[in-house]
Amino acid sequence: MRRMSFLCVLFLGAIAACTPVTAKVFLRVEPSPIPPADKTGIQDIVLVWPLRDLSAIAKLRSQGYRVFLQCELKDLVAAVVAGDRAAVTGMIVTNTVPSSESPSAEQLRPYFAAHKNLTFRVLVPGGKQPQMKGRLVVERDGVLQVSSPSSQPWLDTNLALVRLAQARDPESVPILYDFHWDTSGELPDVWHPDAEAYAVSIAEADAIGSDVTIDLPGSLQRALVADDPRAWTLWKAIMPYLDFSSHAPMERMIPVVNLGVVVDGAQASYEAINLMARHNLAFESVRPSSLTLARLRSWNSVVVFCSLNKEALALLRNFAASGGIVIFVNTHDEFPWHSAPPLRQESRVTVYSVGAGQVVEPAEPVVDPENFARDLRRLIGREGSALALWNSLTTLVTGYREQSRPDVTLYLVNYAAQPENVQVQVKGRFTRVRLESPEGPSGVSLPFVERGGFTEFTIPELRITARLHLDSARESSAAP
Amino acid sequence: MRWLKSAALASLTLAMLPLPSTLCSPQNSSFVHQKRYAMGTVFEIVIYDEDLPRADAAARAALDEVVRLDAIMSNYKPESDLSRMNRTAHFQPVRIPRELYESIEESLFYSRHSDGQFDISVGPLVDLWKAALAGGPLPTAADRASALRCVGYQKIELIPPDRIQFHSHCMRLDLGAIGKGYAVDRAARILNARGIHRAYIDAGGSTIYGLVAAPGGNAWRVRLRDPSRKVGPEVMLINNSVSTSEQSAPSSLQGDTPGHIILPGTGKPLQTRYAISVTAPSATASDALSTTLLLLGPTKGAAMVKTLHNVSAIWIDSDGQRTLAGDGVSFLLTGENRPIRVSPLKNRMAAISKAPKELLP
Repeated sequence: MRRMSFLCVLFLGAIAACTPVTAKVFLRVEPSPIPPADKTGIQDIVLVWPLRDLSAIAKLRSQGYRVFLQCELKDLVAAVVAGDRAAVTGMIVTNTVPSSESPSAEQLRPYFAAHKNLTFRVLVPGGKQPQMKGRLVVERDGVLQVSSPSSQPWLDTNLALVRLAQARDPESVPILYDFHWDTSGELPDVWHPDAEAYAVSIAEADAIGSDVTIDLPGSLQRALVADDPRAWTLWKAIMPYLDFSSHAPMERMIPVVNLGVVVDGAQASYEAINLMARHNLAFESVRPSSLTLARLRSWNSVVVFCSLNKEALALLRNFAASGGIVIFVNTHDEFPWHSAPPLRQESRVTVYSVGAGQVVEPAEPVVDPENFARDLRRLIGREGSALALWNSLTTLVTGYREQSRPDVTLYLVNYAAQPENVQVQVKGRFTRVRLESPEGPSGVSLPFVERGGFTEFTIPELRITARLHLDSARESSAAP
Repeated sequence: MRWLKSAALASLTLAMLPLPSTLCSPQNSSFVHQKRYAMGTVFEIVIYDEDLPRADAAARAALDEVVRLDAIMSNYKPESDLSRMNRTAHFQPVRIPRELYESIEESLFYSRHSDGQFDISVGPLVDLWKAALAGGPLPTAADRASALRCVGYQKIELIPPDRIQFHSHCMRLDLGAIGKGYAVDRAARILNARGIHRAYIDAGGSTIYGLVAAPGGNAWRVRLRDPSRKVGPEVMLINNSVSTSEQSAPSSLQGDTPGHIILPGTGKPLQTRYAISVTAPSATASDALSTTLLLLGPTKGAAMVKTLHNVSAIWIDSDGQRTLAGDGVSFLLTGENRPIRVSPLKNRMAAISKAPKELLP
């Protein structure tokens, strides 16, 4: 069943590859009245199929919205016919329905071709509400249960989900995901989620270079229509983040990374990669078939979670020989470097010296993803890290740059939503650091220092999000 | 020492467990759960109360207090009172906030009664090893000797009611091994002052304080860290606290890396296979004692615990060997139907001197 779903993602993702980017934030609403687009600040509305009354689409269009229909794969035929008639902008397809393998895809392919006026997007499953978690507090059968996945602040982020989806289908960028609001333990008679939760969700989508579908609870939708002042107070607190998001750089940016993650399936490696994201390791993930010399040139370390063919293995051997670090997780293969005695052999890990670099082979699979991520950061070291933060365990940082330019844009999201002075270190030399934020004056130049090939600065009072534009010194490169 | 303690959290896995209905079965689901990031971890409060808005306001006030204390005690924030004190107290007595004074006074109590194993002046040594832990070279003997000259609780002079002076030019204090406990106690006081009694407060899992249990229960049942996974220790909290400490595990990628808890006497990382959990009437006490007793080890540690009132400790190693001591809350162990009574008590001191004023009604 998983295999079928995956194939569907690949197939639909290939179609999405031809699709222009339409929005960053999709708002999923009930097919009932909603204030017009110029009041909500939202452009793209999602209605879930089946729809009883297709006139809702026309109404929303007249209010200035682009309307998307979300349907399951099994319903796509009916939904796309109805949607096309009602002049929706596009279809968002979920892949939750199991079916036979290729026949299904083959049946759908001509249908997509017949509706070229529609935009098709595939919703990547498995998204979660971005938030800082501590311990998980739930009440089951009248008994309070508390447990913790981690002793450190636990960030539920969608970065790993998106990076893995990008690895599966690198052409279908941007990825589109959704999530469901977690409202457990909240007070009744208070709007949930609150404005901060929306803001973090919008900011995260920006930071991970993805599109997101956010649910508008029916009660809030009705209250906005009824001009409830409390509802509008909440929504007006969200609007600066929507506006800020809409002004994110539109060019195709490539992530600033120093670490490559080679995966063939998310199942075994997801949690380790999730923790890499949480610990701000600047990584991208690829499938073995996408491992190329050009790609390796932008990395100084590689974690391998799957078996490799001879060609890929040779690439990584050369990568290590030229000074790189390669970590093979949970592999029991025989490698050429095993013919020489290891540099270090301990119960937990064996390290081989290969040319100027090293190959690290942990004895066990990743049993503690948090420690693994921390150990990885330590192994790579300060000198090898393209990005690093201090003083905030609750902040995510990502970096992007244009293919041909060394200027860097950083995106920061503070999941704790309480102000922190966040210290940032970026590899490279820059002549200017400019801060943009929906939470204060924009375009402010921040003081910075250059130390050992790194640029360091502090973002004062980062509440939820900021973008930093780092203008490069022309004589150097920001690449790791 | 914030780094010292917060790094320890990696190895702490305290967890509230589902309770048998006879122990803690809330009759309704009217609870408030709030969390706030402070002191490098997540503080959380769960309150059961008939008046949820009141509970919500109380939780916010308690967490505001934790954040306020972080602004005073943080050694990461250059503008904190602790950082300012660390920059200036070498030259003359300086005035410090009452909270800082109390925390240092409490810390010195544990330093004296552990022969200096608990020492809030260990910061220079921690910094030295932090670099090695991050992949840098190991400190040389000369490096350690140099850092050790800056360490020693005897060089801290508290001048009542609110001043302090360091008698070392390079001394630097870090409250990471006691600050979270102190903050938890302050939060508990605020809850009590606002009429909230059924609640628990959790500082990132390393310290948990249980007030009166949820409706229908008589205690907060907490599962404790067990590196062997054989002992399954649990403890019942009601108006008391439990804290856990453990040395960090070796790196899965680099092998035997130095741990983050440093022995003040030698200037080297502690080598131990034990995890320890300590219960005490106050979170300040359990927090400080968990580090102290881990550093002392089970033999010397048990002797120290016997001199304290209302304190219990359990050391468990990776093979499941355990040592229990103290007259405080009893530990429940897997396969045992009744609480394990810890060793008989003799020759106690007059309790944990500062604990009574932290006690809750």
